[in-house]
Amino acid sequence: MRAHCRTLLGAFVACLFAASPSLANDAPASAAAAFIEARGAALKEVLDSDLPASEKRERVASILRDAVDVQGVGQFVLGRHWRTASEANRTEYLRLFEATLIRNLSARFGELKGLRFSVVRAQPRGEDGVMVNTLVEFPGQAPAQLDWLVSFASGRPLIVDLVAEGTSLRITQRSEYSAVIQRGGGRLDSLLDAMRRQLSALEQKELAQN
Amino acid sequence: MQRLRLVAPLFGLALIVSGCATLPPESDPEARAEFFERNDPIEPLNRAVFAFNEAFDHLLFRPAAEAYRIFVPRPIRTGIGNVLDNLLVPRTAANQLLQGRPDDAAQSVVRFIINSTLGVFGIFDVASDMGIEPRFEDFGQTLAVWAGTTKGGPFLMLPILGPSTLRDTFALPFDVALDPWTWVGQGDQVRALRVGRTATQAVDAREQFIEAGDALRAQSLDFYAALRSIYLQRRERDIRNEGAPQVRRFFDER
Repeated sequence: MRAHCRTLLGAFVACLFAASPSLANDAPASAAAAFIEARGAALKEVLDSDLPASEKRERVASILRDAVDVQGVGQFVLGRHWRTASEANRTEYLRLFEATLIRNLSARFGELKGLRFSVVRAQPRGEDGVMVNTLVEFPGQAPAQLDWLVSFASGRPLIVDLVAEGTSLRITQRSEYSAVIQRGGGRLDSLLDAMRRQLSALEQKELAQN
Repeated sequence: MQRLRLVAPLFGLALIVSGCATLPPESDPEARAEFFERNDPIEPLNRAVFAFNEAFDHLLFRPAAEAYRIFVPRPIRTGIGNVLDNLLVPRTAANQLLQGRPDDAAQSVVRFIINSTLGVFGIFDVASDMGIEPRFEDFGQTLAVWAGTTKGGPFLMLPILGPSTLRDTFALPFDVALDPWTWVGQGDQVRALRVGRTATQAVDAREQFIEAGDALRAQSLDFYAALRSIYLQRRERDIRNEGAPQVRRFFDER
């Protein structure tokens, strides 16, 4: 009886070990897919609601802060200029970066109403995390494939990149920001100024819409 | 006259020299690394060409694309687009063969035959419904496969044609030569058809880019730099054949 128990236990443990590698491979992918599904549904609920624009923006902001690795992406986008930036400039840059991210959505609340999305699949991308493919349909337009790179580096899932039609948003933004700094004589201030101008343009657009 | 002949190349040289981006000093290795990674040595000249292209787009190209959208109904635009795509298939097949992928080339030939017959001169994309999806190859991609690198050399902004690289620009005449339609027929009517095809192709492509282009322009801090980056990333994807095939729809699904 005892021997029997031991073999059973052994088999159970063996099963656990045998199962764990495949679990380790699949778990992040399905976790990332579920994460995008849930965050997307939460975002869609706010976008489709009839809340006043400012209330909507607040809720979208809290969803983004929770779902996107704003600081990590912001650092990546600034690239080599992050290291040489002063503490005050870093704080100001991250503030502008986050505000631009949110305003880019809130200035387009009208267009974003009624969008539909579905998770197609999730593929592990090694150390980078998991790429989650989604199909997003804006009203009256052909469905577009948007891919979300979800990283687990911080211990919980966070979006670190958005890829549309083979174009990575963070890579495009990085080359753009570096061009602005380069054309501004290598000064970070020229980028911060450009970001402030863009932010106020987005605010104007949002005001005009509502 | 004699003097002008001497001055013209000098002027051209001056233009090129003044159009060169300055290499950062060796004391700043990171800036130098960035300079080489960006690989846009004639950036000032490129930006000047880009300004011209923007004006051209604003005055002529975008309005033409908008008129096309307004006056030609969606199903007819899709049919026209399918015909244009179908005409590109032989060139794609030739490039697939040159890239050493005979199976894909055979697929393209089958696709072309099906869509040209069952699909009525390519108006209906029957082959996609049968599972033979659209693929596009050009000689720039073939050169990339031969060279074994996705990097196409210095970035170039071509007048009217837009973003390119040295390699892709060099490949352009070969694509004309690899396109069987270049060699079919003669006379004014054929020439007119050819011009019409190219113009429609351009307007069709621009029409599909209206919303995306506007959104990109509105979001960009530096539109030129954004387009440069996007062009290079997309070329890389196309060389690796990683893009999802795009099938045109006759109607909105909802």
